[in-house]
Amino acid sequence: MSKSSPRRPFGGKSNGTITVIEAKVHRSSARNARLAFILTAVIVGLLAAVVAASYMHPILALFLGALIGVPLGGLVWVLVRIWPVLRLLWWWTPEIGVTTFLGTGWVQLANHTPMPVTFAVVALVVGVPAAVPVTRRVLVAWTWCFVVRHRLRVCFAQFIIANQSGSLPLILWARPTPVGERVWVYLRPGLSLADLEGRLDRIAVACHASTALIERASDGNAAYLRFDIKRREVLTAQVGSPLVDVIDPATPATDRPTPAVPTALDLPDVDIPTVTLPAQKKPPATANGSKPAASSSTPEDDISDWI
Amino acid sequence: MTTATAPTAGVPVGPGLSMFDPIFVGIDEFGHPVYITLAYRNLLAGGEPGGGKSGLLNCIAAHAALSVDSRLVLLDGKLVELGQWEDCADAFIGPDITEALAVLKRLQLVMNNRYAWLRAHGRRKLTAADGLSVITVLVDEIAFYSATVGTKQEQEEFVALLRDLVARGRAAGIPVVAATQRPSFDIIPTSLRDLFGYRAAFRCTTPNSSNIVLGHGWAEQGYTATDIAPSNQGAAYLIAEGGIPRRIKVAYLTDGQIAGIADYAAWIRRPRPLPALVPDLTRLDLGAAA
Ligand SMILES: Nc1ncnc2c1ncn2[C@@H]1O[C@H](COP(=O)(O)OP(=O)(O)OP(=O)(O)O)[C@@H](O)[C@H]1O
Ligand SMILES: [Mg+2]
Repeated sequence: MSKSSPRRPFGGKSNGTITVIEAKVHRSSARNARLAFILTAVIVGLLAAVVAASYMHPILALFLGALIGVPLGGLVWVLVRIWPVLRLLWWWTPEIGVTTFLGTGWVQLANHTPMPVTFAVVALVVGVPAAVPVTRRVLVAWTWCFVVRHRLRVCFAQFIIANQSGSLPLILWARPTPVGERVWVYLRPGLSLADLEGRLDRIAVACHASTALIERASDGNAAYLRFDIKRREVLTAQVGSPLVDVIDPATPATDRPTPAVPTALDLPDVDIPTVTLPAQKKPPATANGSKPAASSSTPEDDISDWI
Repeated sequence: MTTATAPTAGVPVGPGLSMFDPIFVGIDEFGHPVYITLAYRNLLAGGEPGGGKSGLLNCIAAHAALSVDSRLVLLDGKLVELGQWEDCADAFIGPDITEALAVLKRLQLVMNNRYAWLRAHGRRKLTAADGLSVITVLVDEIAFYSATVGTKQEQEEFVALLRDLVARGRAAGIPVVAATQRPSFDIIPTSLRDLFGYRAAFRCTTPNSSNIVLGHGWAEQGYTATDIAPSNQGAAYLIAEGGIPRRIKVAYLTDGQIAGIADYAAWIRRPRPLPALVPDLTRLDLGAAA
């Protein structure tokens, strides 16, 4: 075991096909597993030995401790090593669950009912939600929620590399909104809101969306964020004002004196000399006097807006 | 529609709105209503021509006109945007900077007197229980007064008076709502622009213009009014309570609806002015109040 530390820097097998990040992840997983094995074996073993020492000879107790500690350490080692697979399974749990449920349902149905009944039931179960617009929209919206969670994970894994061990942010729940989806995310060390804001356009592309916005979801915790994925423009319809309903439509119109109706409403009606601009031109002396200050700020209009 | 003069007695009961109530301005992307409380805040609206700024101002004017505790001061360089509210307004100023300066000076005096009144009562801000009216100052096309019409001195005086109202009017119940297409430094000084608490950015052509309205840095965080479609008039980013820009659609009043509300408001409004109900504070002596 003591050999492990000098071996670590060169521990990864020289395999030309894997990328740097994956090699890092791989190596850290192997090291974590080893550490977990040692820690579990030593702690559990010692504890067991201490407890056992009050019943038997200390040397026998040490052996018993080793017997209990080593297999447990092995179990933990296996768990840590297969963690990437477990994580993958965890990510796809909803999909696996739904597929299993549907598959089982289909098989049970096919085994227990005659063919026409089977098809009738399937047509009902699939057709009714698909035909009713409300349920269809709800289903599609929730499907997008699942898709977006996976797409966000792809973003984090592919181009938002957070830290050395390659741990990904925790992508929490998602829920549909009228404009798209809203996903809550818990960042791991190595990322911040400002990092992500520079990549909003790429996140939008990865999520097949139009725009993405990120806000803090908690005032007290900078790691807890809310992603707003927008794929629809909903604010196109005209909005009425409720004030229209509170007034009495039978109100008599106010008596207004008819204002003098201006004439000369077209260009030929107005003679050249009679045109008087409301703006009085600045006296040339003032313009000259203020010239140096004005000329310095005029060229870079956009920057000096902020002075 | 029949035509009659507003009666001096037997006024119909109003809808009971107050300027201290939240004002409905539209809906957000989640279909929720969006309210702003204007009594203690100022609002600046910006965006390209035809974006819907005057729509927002009319929406606020409608609420103010129907509120019992409100007075309207309208400055409209275009005459037509707020012109329909003339009968409900205490002052309606067209494209005339001399009149605009006069009314702003009056407002400044009222503000000073109100602060003296508040001090005399050991208080720090006006509340709904005081029975004083909220004087909403609506300025459409602020650029017209601050950069187009009048002499240099008049324009500077206009900006100075407006800045004073925006800076100090809040607690005295004199909120300012201003609209302009691009509030860059040559139109209104940055020192005035940055005092507005609420910002509404209608469609802008560049992210920089959007930043000028909303505040520096929002475009980089993804909140830019350039992503509003040109055909989607009345959609805007609003910074109000919460501090994060929200995409909203402003409620729209057609000319007919505005005329209806304005007539009704003129009908329910007590005959102006109200010497018996509210002391005429414009002539209140500062020394006597303190
Ligand atoms: N909330 C809204 N909903 C639907 N349509 C709107 C809305 N607001 C404005 N519009 C449409 O856009 C047109 C222009 O709006 P508005 O006059 O408010 O623009 P503006 O920003 O004040 O322009 P300008 O800078 O030229 O004064 C209106 O005539 C109306 O047809
Ligand atoms: Mg306008």
